[in-house]
Order: sequence, then structure tokens, then C-alpha cells
Amino acid sequence: MQPKDVLFGLPVAVLVAPASAYAAVYLTVEQAQQLIFPNVALAPAPIALSDVQKKAIQEQSGVRVRSTSLRAWRTPGGDFFIVDDVLGKHEYITYAVGITARGTVKQVEILEYRETYGDAVRRQEWLAQFAGKNSAAPLRLDEDIRNISGATLSSRHITDGIKRLLATYEIALR
Amino acid sequence: MRRARPALGTIVEIEAAQSADAGVEQAVMRAFDAVERVQRLMSFHAPDSDLARLNRDAYRRPVAVHRWTRLVLRAAQALWRDTEGWFDCTVAPTLVTHDFLPLHAGFDPGGRYEGSMADIEFERAGRVRFRRPLSLDLGGIAKGFAVDRAIEILQSAGVECGVVNAGGDLRVFGPRPEFVHVRDPQRPGAFIRRGPFSNIAIATSAAYHSRKTIAGRPVSHFVNPRTRMLLDVPYSATIVAASCMIADALTKAVILSGSDRVACLARYRATAFIDGGGLGARAA
Repeated sequence: MQPKDVLFGLPVAVLVAPASAYAAVYLTVEQAQQLIFPNVALAPAPIALSDVQKKAIQEQSGVRVRSTSLRAWRTPGGDFFIVDDVLGKHEYITYAVGITARGTVKQVEILEYRETYGDAVRRQEWLAQFAGKNSAAPLRLDEDIRNISGATLSSRHITDGIKRLLATYEIALR
Repeated sequence: MRRARPALGTIVEIEAAQSADAGVEQAVMRAFDAVERVQRLMSFHAPDSDLARLNRDAYRRPVAVHRWTRLVLRAAQALWRDTEGWFDCTVAPTLVTHDFLPLHAGFDPGGRYEGSMADIEFERAGRVRFRRPLSLDLGGIAKGFAVDRAIEILQSAGVECGVVNAGGDLRVFGPRPEFVHVRDPQRPGAFIRRGPFSNIAIATSAAYHSRKTIAGRPVSHFVNPRTRMLLDVPYSATIVAASCMIADALTKAVILSGSDRVACLARYRATAFIDGGGLGARAA
């Protein structure tokens, strides 16, 4: 069925398929730090979770721990800034969360969002770069794909990630 | 500048033109605050949201709710009438039964939620009551409403142009016309570029993210309000209107009625596009 476009009489419904994947970059880690903890000195506090901690976090949050290394920074007041990423069926999202010294969420900001609906081969390449392996096909940002309208992803993976990080705070950082 | 946060069960993106005035960053933060407020008020499963309190108690006694919640309920009731019942927030029990929505506090799985949208009554002092038992879900209208509130904050802060996009329900404002990319319901990852548009809202409804199989039959989160049965639809419906709340709600009327010519479109000065598979392919 042909899509119809009658607005303003302009015949402008055009099918566009991005070459590889769609991505949006919002913030660097430093910018997110400034947004969530403005004018606060953040000290790097990277942590490697032990097996015991990993199990406890999984049990407390009900969410699987995919990586035991935590990219965390600490404020003088005992708040934490953590960078995390989540992998959905078609999307890979890097985000930052500020957790207060009381163990509550202060603010969440998405750093980068990437999605692909590519065929099996392209998807493997796309996924490989997030596993830290080298990919022959670098991610290309398609700047022309903006203002996307459509039933889209749920934020469930991010909210699960935040649940996991709150448990991580209780078990490994507090 | 462009920022994104999880909210309303999806990702909400706000873009605002930078200017010499550092107030843009603040305006964007306040716009996100408004979106998060809509989430707190209208979340189906959060136990203390206005909506949860209504679903649990409004049949027994009037419940005081935030002005925004009342606005959305009034609009929802008017839209139900104007769309001849195609836009209907009372279908939540069907969605809960089939795991499209979680249980909410006080939900009675065996209960007979016999009320209709006509049973929502507005009383003094911001109170709302249900004349008959209802379980309402505002998922088909709250995202659009949140977008409108965010836009209002950006505009009154003097931001010249911007976009607020709540998981595909979006609104653009400012002098520069924008193209919009509607997801192709038949080819995930491909888009139908439309426009350019100025100062409008666009919302799209489709089944591709909710589709699953129950008893061998493909279904999605769309419920036919007349039969109360789940349907699957291969096409998507996109509405262009002045407000995102209206665009959001009208997508349901178009998707469920299968028609891009529902009478209320003219009243709301909205335009509809249907993309994807044949209109006849609907399960009753």
C-alpha cells in the first residue's frame, strides 16, 4: 500500500534505509559528570567485583551482572557517579547514573544510543565492537536520520541496569 | 544540545537550540522534570501514582489528583466520545490478563470492570471518582501529554527551536522545518521520511514492539474496545496534529478502526498516514 502524504501538497514520503546502524551520541563521560554533579570533584573509584559480590548483587536486584568491572567515581560526600551499558535485542545503550550517599538515584543521563536491525552477519559485527573485539566495519553515524517516530524500545534494560547498580552500591560501594 | 533519559517506559530525548543565554541547559533540565512528573502521576504500576490510587479507590470514594491528571482524564473522555469509542483507556484488564501490563495495587483479576469512560466523574477540589469499577491505563495518551508539557517549558524559557521525542511521540517547534522518520512497520531499521514539517506533533502506533503469540495466534498490545480482544496489525498509523497528546491518542483510533478517515480527524485538525501491510489484515 502506498503511503499517502497530503500535508502541504508535498509528495515527500521517501523510504530511507541507513547503511549500517543508527546511533546518537549525547554526552561524554566528563559532560555527564558535570551535569549530574556540577562543580564537584570526582575521584575515580574503579572496582572489580568479586564472585561473592556479583552473586549478592544478582540475588538482591534480580538482574544478571554481565561485567564485574565497575566504572565508578566518588564525590567527597560519598555519592557515586557510575557509567554502565546495557544490551537489548537491537540496541546498545551507554548511560550514567548518579547515586546519592543515601543510596537513591539522583539523575540518569544517556551517553550513547546505538541500534541495528541488520541481517545476522551485520549484527554480529555490530555486537563484536561492544565485546571489546575488533570489528572490521566501524560504526557509521547516520546524521540524516533524526526525529524518529514509531513504537520504539522500552527502557526496561536501563531501569534493570539502574536496579542492578543500586544493589551494587549497597553491596560494594557504600 | 541534545539530551536523553529513560522515562515513561521508553527513552525521552530533548533537543534545544543553543543560544548565548545559558538558560537553555536549565530549561532542558526542567523539561525533563516535567516528563518525570507525568511518569510519577500516571504510571500504571507505581503504587502511589495518581492513576494507581484512582484504579484502587475511585470506585469507593472520590480521589484527589493533580491538575495534570484531571486534564488528561478529561481529554481522554472527550477523545473517547469523538472517536466513537475507538480511543478507550478502560481496556487495561485485557492487557493485564495477557501480560502486557503488570498487576496494579488492588487489581482484581476475577473482577468485573464493567465501567466505561462515561463513568469517570469530575468533582470539586480536584477530585475524581468512578461511578462503576474501572481499571484505566493512560499509556495511549500520557506520553503525548508529557511531550506537550516539556515543549511548553522550553518555549516559555525562550528556547528558539527544539524537539521533544518520547519514544517516537514527538513535537518540533521553531522556524526551521524538520523531516521526520517514521519506522517502516514491515522493515525494522528502515524509515519513511516525511515532511518537512514546522511546529507540529507526530505520533506513530504500531505492533512491531509488542507483538507476540498467544495460543498460536499473533497478537499485540492493541485491544479492540468493542470486543475487548487483542489484535495484531501489520501496518502503522501516524498522526500529525498541533498537540502531541492529541496525536498520541488519535493513533489508536486510526489503528483500531483501520481507517485513516475517522471523522474526528477534521475536528482535531489532524492528518493520518497509514504505512505497511493491507488494511484488511486484522484479527478480530
